[in-house]
Amino acid sequence: MSEAAETATAGALLEQEYSIPPRQRFNPLRWALREPAGALSVLIILAVGFMAGGASLLNTTNPQALDAFTADVLEGPGGDHYFGTDRQGKDVWSSVLYGGRISLKISVATVLVGTVGGTLLALIAGFIGGLADFGLSRIADILFAVPALLLAMIMDIVLVDKLPDLPALPAEELARVLAIAFFFMPGAFRIMRGSVLEQRSAQYVEAATLIGAGRWRIMLRHILPNITGLMIVLTTISLPAAILTEATLSFLLGSSAPSWGAELSGESRQFFNRAPWIAIFPGAALALTVFAFNIFGDSIRDTLDPRLRGRI
Amino acid sequence: MSGYIIRRVIAIPVMLLVLSFILFLLIWTLPGDAAFAGALSISETGNYDVARERFGLDRPWFVQYADWLGGIFVGDFGESLTPPHDSIMGSVKERLPKTIEVGLVTILLSAVISVPVGVISAVRRNKPEDYLLRTVTILGISVPNFWIGTLIIVYSFVWFSWNPIKDWVDFTEDPLKNLAIVIFPAGILAFAGAAYTARIMRSAMLEVLYSDHVRTARAKGLRERVVIFRHVFRSALIPVLTVLGLQLGSILGGAVVAEQIFAIPGMGLFALERIRARDYTALLMIVMIFATMFMFVTLLVDILYTYVDPRIRY
Repeated sequence: MSEAAETATAGALLEQEYSIPPRQRFNPLRWALREPAGALSVLIILAVGFMAGGASLLNTTNPQALDAFTADVLEGPGGDHYFGTDRQGKDVWSSVLYGGRISLKISVATVLVGTVGGTLLALIAGFIGGLADFGLSRIADILFAVPALLLAMIMDIVLVDKLPDLPALPAEELARVLAIAFFFMPGAFRIMRGSVLEQRSAQYVEAATLIGAGRWRIMLRHILPNITGLMIVLTTISLPAAILTEATLSFLLGSSAPSWGAELSGESRQFFNRAPWIAIFPGAALALTVFAFNIFGDSIRDTLDPRLRGRI
Repeated sequence: MSGYIIRRVIAIPVMLLVLSFILFLLIWTLPGDAAFAGALSISETGNYDVARERFGLDRPWFVQYADWLGGIFVGDFGESLTPPHDSIMGSVKERLPKTIEVGLVTILLSAVISVPVGVISAVRRNKPEDYLLRTVTILGISVPNFWIGTLIIVYSFVWFSWNPIKDWVDFTEDPLKNLAIVIFPAGILAFAGAAYTARIMRSAMLEVLYSDHVRTARAKGLRERVVIFRHVFRSALIPVLTVLGLQLGSILGGAVVAEQIFAIPGMGLFALERIRARDYTALLMIVMIFATMFMFVTLLVDILYTYVDPRIRY
């Protein structure tokens, strides 16, 4: 046998032995059948997203506009006001829809900042190691000991006067985003750090080092793609908690824009006995959204990496 | 074992020191003391400069930090930046026991509810009971506690014309009345806590249910009840213990919400009032107290491990 033929046979054998099964295309229908609860949650999330996004098209009046205040004070649900009106004659249906916008915007921004920030810190800790790793890990330990909600509240009031208004995020909302992201960062850092350390000792990293890849290249081109799955899972799983935290903060501290949490706080509370619908609908919208995201997060985790069950 | 515990106990003050330093940096050195101006403008003097001097806020931050730290060692927690400038130590002494009581009742309720729910859910895996309990537990972690609390108050009035008791009564004074007050904040906090713990309990049970030693126990003919309780239950308790310990942090945070809704004059309500007043000296102290409690509880949990699982040695 000639040398070339031998190589070819060996190559074919190798290919046979190590053939990678063709990557299965993601089939939404099959996924929906396997994870019916997950599919249902996607529908709820889409509906919530559509209602919050298209709030202005759904028979609403912007609660921050002047014409939101009407003479129909504390009217029960029905007729023109699906969810009734509040003490200032504002349509509760409109407040719920517009409130959803703010709540979703803040919590999505929060989770992105928290997970991306936590991952970057984890990469730094995993790669520089030594003192940086020790310092960051101890700070995470210490921050873990502080009740996260309390810390977020303090961050919120410390930051709110000091931040600029961004085009899409007024200072008040930006402060809330950073405060809640701060709340998530120690946890995200811990989980991602574990994953970075695990990947760092993997064989493909050794191989990359052998062919001379630099530290940054390994970190960004090899390890980062391999921990992206975990990052996605972490983001989806943290989102419901972020929505809840945002609502809790606006419940406790108030907010100038309509938000699900803020609807339940402040002066309105005195009118709940007479007009329970003011309290019921924003809370129900909040609970339904968080419920859907929780189920969605669980099925995403089970789909992407079932081994994570019980770990995050 | 004792060496490990001693090291852990020594680590606690060091961690607290670092924490106080981080918080101090965060609050005191951010540009512009507009926040302090806010706190001081409503202070008794009405004069910003005088007020700054009165609280020593005109000194460099590290001098203030050293002063604050020195005070801690002699039991001086400082005084509130905002009127009535009462001693923080006094407020803490009065309020902390109430929050601790709510916290203990919460943990107790949470454990009593979550452990059986998790066990049933795991043993009857993928049966109707399991689906029902899993739905309820996901609901439990999804429904905001301030909403539940509000609805309880509203509907107990609308339906029964009954309001939760407003004035605090100490346990020593009237145990029944005291529990009738505490059960509400503890209940709404335990609802979410129990749901979360039950999920952990379920997955911990499932992990052990299919392990080798359980198969062996079944193979040698032990009754299912004995297998579940002696072999599965005990191993599954460890993660649950961790979660219950860690929950203390969220309970103390949640105390802010629960105490606000049910008007419990504890640390949570204190924290909220101080936040609204931008009273940073009091807030710093509240955070330090909560962190100290949390650190000691986690240490306690780690020690408890060795009793639950004799294989764990430090």
